[in-house]
Amino acid sequence: MGNSLSVEGLHAGYGAVKVLSGIDMSVRHGETAALLGTNGNGKSTLLKCLTGQIRPSKGRITATIDGQTHDLSALSTEAIVALGIALVPEGRRLFPKLTVDENLTLGAMPKKARAGMEERRAFCFEAFPRLKERRRQLAGSMSGGEQQMLAFGRALMSAPKILLVDEPSVGLAPILVARMIDKIAELKAALGLTVLMAEQNFNQAIRIADRGYVLVHGEIAHAAEDAASLKANDVVRRLYLGVD
Amino acid sequence: MSMELFGNALLSGLLLGGFYAAVAVGITIAFGMLDIVNIAHPAFIMLGAFVAYWLNVEYGLDPLLAALVAAPFAYIAGRGLYRYYHGVFERRSEDSLQGLAFFFGLLFVVEVSLLLVFGVDYRFVSAPYIGPSLTFGDYSVPYRMLVPFLAGLGVVALIALYLGRTFTGRAILAVSQDPGALRLVGGNPVKIKEAAFGLSIATAMLAGALLVIIQPIEPSMGREFIGRAFAICVLGGMTSLLGTVVAGAILGVAEAMTTTYVGAAWGPAVSFGLLLITLAVRPSGIFGR
Repeated sequence: MGNSLSVEGLHAGYGAVKVLSGIDMSVRHGETAALLGTNGNGKSTLLKCLTGQIRPSKGRITATIDGQTHDLSALSTEAIVALGIALVPEGRRLFPKLTVDENLTLGAMPKKARAGMEERRAFCFEAFPRLKERRRQLAGSMSGGEQQMLAFGRALMSAPKILLVDEPSVGLAPILVARMIDKIAELKAALGLTVLMAEQNFNQAIRIADRGYVLVHGEIAHAAEDAASLKANDVVRRLYLGVD
Repeated sequence: MSMELFGNALLSGLLLGGFYAAVAVGITIAFGMLDIVNIAHPAFIMLGAFVAYWLNVEYGLDPLLAALVAAPFAYIAGRGLYRYYHGVFERRSEDSLQGLAFFFGLLFVVEVSLLLVFGVDYRFVSAPYIGPSLTFGDYSVPYRMLVPFLAGLGVVALIALYLGRTFTGRAILAVSQDPGALRLVGGNPVKIKEAAFGLSIATAMLAGALLVIIQPIEPSMGREFIGRAFAICVLGGMTSLLGTVVAGAILGVAEAMTTTYVGAAWGPAVSFGLLLITLAVRPSGIFGR
């Protein structure tokens, strides 16, 4: 069954500030696509459009879930999550005064996700044993790395088909960044997810990415069919690898 | 100091505490969990008290039964009120000052309406448990205090179960921490707050019925509960239901002790005194997270 995302001619911004202009991109079934770009180029804005948090001013966003195609640009965030598209947001956005367990449970709020909730909780604890140790602890009292694990766990609790990840490396120690990126690949394989990951840590992101898009000033500067082509690209070399 | 006097004050204070928990639980939900400064809550308690009185006098309904009959209507009215509040103030981020003024105005509108309909005379209800007392040794427990105590604790326990065991309940606990994140887990913050506010107003109906069991009522009495309800909410730790019960008991005992040993005139000062001490010593309250 196919799970995929498609964006055509997307324009979006905040009031008078235009952030995205004419984005065309797609995420195919079962792949990990990377959305690369430094701060302020529109990665988060694109993910917010995909999850209904920002309404695009122009363009089409469609998602195919289990072979059924939905127009996302008309749906609310709640409805998009209920379809099976979960976002691990930038800054984690946990409920700091709720416990780890309570945060995970809330992740299973969509009606379809409620059955099998305990199995998925067990899966989360297996994937992130640290969360199990801290299950009665308040989310806000944990370290940045642990909070990022919980953000992943909470997103997985909604039984997503497509997982969107916004800047998983932000605020993590370098050693944790590599582990977190490996973990994304591991979760994707275990659950058969389709993944779109926005990341500015280029070298880490391309380790697990099948394809990638480089976002510069709200436009796709380069669309790469594989990691090797990303590395060879001029824009990428100049912006990320420090090669002139 | 006689042991008996102390014991009776302690006992009546604890019983009063159960009723105070029912008074404050609506504030704990609205103010503590939803960030809605519903200063009109005590007016809704008075409205509930008069509805229970009216159903008792006109239809001979037991006040507790009257509360159960009226609670669903209060819930629906509360949802409607939140929708209005959200549309006019909250959605435009004008809830802090204008919202407060709105509820302040509502407090007077409800109070004056009750005055116009029921007048200034004290009203009371009749029920089999109003009058007799349970006596053991030197102590006596009037049923008119015991019944509200048990009913108050029962209401808080039911709400605790609802918040802890259901998805809507957990979402109510989460919604003010990050409404946007609640959308990301598939919940609609506006609908969640609407349900929670309906619940809060329904508890006011119940607390009103308990009030009219405890003592005769008149419309302006609600004001005495503004300070008490907010003091209990803050002392208990804003969002904690266990805190609401414990803080209710502390306030009840403190008031009973003050009335017994210092003088009845000092009773109303106790809640504000407790509030000041809490804010100075432990601003996060007893069970604050």
